[in-house]
This record gives sequence, C-alpha cells and structure tokens, in this order.
Amino acid sequence: MKESLLDILCCPLDKGELELEVIRENDDEILEGRLVCVECGEEYPIEDGIPNLLPPDMRDEAAA
Amino acid sequence: MTDDTNVPDSDDGGVGAAERRHTVRDRYGEIATSEASCCGETSGSACCGGDTRGETDHDDRSRLLGYSDAELDEVESGANLGLGCGTPTAIAGLERGEVVLDLGSGAGFDCFLAARKVGPEGRVIGVDMTPEMVEKARENAATDDAENVSFRLGEIEHLPVADGAVDVIISNCVINLSPDKQRVFDEAFRVLRPGGRLAISDVVQTAPLPAAVRTNPSSVAGCVAGAAPIPELESMLEDAGGVDVSIDPKGDSEEFIREWDDERDVSEYIVSATIEGRKPDR
Repeated sequence: MKESLLDILCCPLDKGELELEVIRENDDEILEGRLVCVECGEEYPIEDGIPNLLPPDMRDEAAA
Repeated sequence: MTDDTNVPDSDDGGVGAAERRHTVRDRYGEIATSEASCCGETSGSACCGGDTRGETDHDDRSRLLGYSDAELDEVESGANLGLGCGTPTAIAGLERGEVVLDLGSGAGFDCFLAARKVGPEGRVIGVDMTPEMVEKARENAATDDAENVSFRLGEIEHLPVADGAVDVIISNCVINLSPDKQRVFDEAFRVLRPGGRLAISDVVQTAPLPAAVRTNPSSVAGCVAGAAPIPELESMLEDAGGVDVSIDPKGDSEEFIREWDDERDVSEYIVSATIEGRKPDR
C-alpha cells in the first residue's frame, strides 16, 4: 500500500480517519503494518502490501 | 412477489445474507486460486460466464461482452478471468486524472483498463472481499507495471473510502451478488464527489425467477439468483441520492447468459444491463 492512498481511506465501520503504523516498508510502499481508526480504535492489518479493510467480523471469518 | 418461505435478512428472498456471502466468497476464492478458473467441479451451476476452459476462451467471451482486441491485448492476461457481463470502463467514458473505484475488482482486469484511461495523474482503487482475488490482482499489478492502481480487501457494503473522494464508480457483474444492494448504492453515492458518476454493468431480472433457482446458493454465486428487477434497482439508486438514473438492458447479452447454467436457459429471466447514475452537483 502506498502512503499517498491514506487520505482517501477510512474506517469501513464509522468512516473515521485512519492512522498508519508501519512495520515493514520498501522504497515504494508499506508491506506490513496497521491502520488504526482514530474514532473507534479498530485496527486493520496491512499484510503483503494489502490493506485488509474488511469489517472485523468478516476478517475473522477469512482468517479461519 | 416472493413467497413466505423467504429468509428475512435477504433483500430479495431466497438465500439468506450470511449464507450468500459465504457462498460467494468461497466460490470466487476458488476461482482465483485455480488456473482452470471458475466453476471447475461444480458443474450445472452458473458462474458469471466462467467455465473450465483456458485464457483464449476468456478473451473470446470478453469480445462477446464488448471489449476490443486492443483492450484485451494491453492488459496482463491473468487479470481477465472472464467473469464480467459488460464493459464498465467503456460505459464510464473515463478521462485523464480521474479517481476511479471498482466495486468487486476481482483479478483487476477492469482496473488496469481504467488505469490506462485515467493516466498517471489519475488513480484506480479496486475493492474486493475475497483475499485470493486481491492477492492475484496485486500480482497482476506488479507484472502489468500499473503504478496508479491499488487493491484492498474490503466489503462493498462497508466501503473503506472517504466521503466524496471518488469521481467514477465502476463495477462489473458484482452488485447482484450482494445481499444488501441498497447499502451498496448508499455507500457508492457517499464516496462519490458531487457531480461524480456511477457506471456499472450488471445482470437484472426481467421475469420472476423459478423458486428452484432463487433458493439455490450456487445460483446466487453464479450471478443469477441475486439479480434484481429494473424498477427495484432504479428506486434503490434514487433512494441513495442518484439522479439521471438509467438502466438499459443489453439485447445481445442472451448469447452469453444462456451458457451460465447447464440445466436451464436463464436468459429467460435475467439480462445484462448498463446501470448509470450521477450524484447531484450540490
């Protein structure tokens, strides 16, 4: 995920702004990290460069 | 109208929302990971035009849907899974610099076409709820060297996109799969900027579906059972705040829709349509 995308992303639940926490990145983009909603505190993982912005109930389902 | 055996949490009777979501995700996850694409073992069930043939056939099918040879040639072939029912990038008349959102982007084919039209100053965002599809799209983006395209996992009923951030929404044969279409349109018009437009291709219902089709989960995943009637879709778009709404069935879609189901000719009940609407300027 490119950092420039952050301004048009939002929390899928309450549409709050997201704060980026970078764990691993290269020159181009963020590979691992977290997007945290400033409103509700929900955390959305970034894995292999893909932000997972599924609502939490669906995300758990996908991981199972 | 629907009968009294309907599951209440589904917007159009038949298969319930949770089951529908599961079936759709499982099916498209399988499609993304199998080279054969689409239906595979589950014969007799429709699958948005998918089949067990190879890439050449995806191209043939796509020509039938209205994509040009040039368009098929210019995008990395793995991105075209032959799962659509029209050509939303063409309908949308995209211009350079525009921000495009693709609902249910799959392996990314329409996103890559859109990316070429909006150019480096524009951007294209694909949202899909199937992890396998998003991964595949990302791989395709790397081989296709598409800098202005990005994909994320998300649900079209809960778009992770800020208000008014998007110029154009495209989608190809996806919204019919949603158990809550009104919500999808509400979200679409929320993220559109004032004056922004929606131009999608999807199947619509032209005659009541037989109960056997409506209650069959694989008919939902196959883009048949979830198709809504045109007047219903029109009022959903208007309720979501859309103006200049138009839904035009395409006469020539019978030819490919007929192949979606081995057991019956579903082209008697559904047809592919272009669905357009605009968000008012103010």
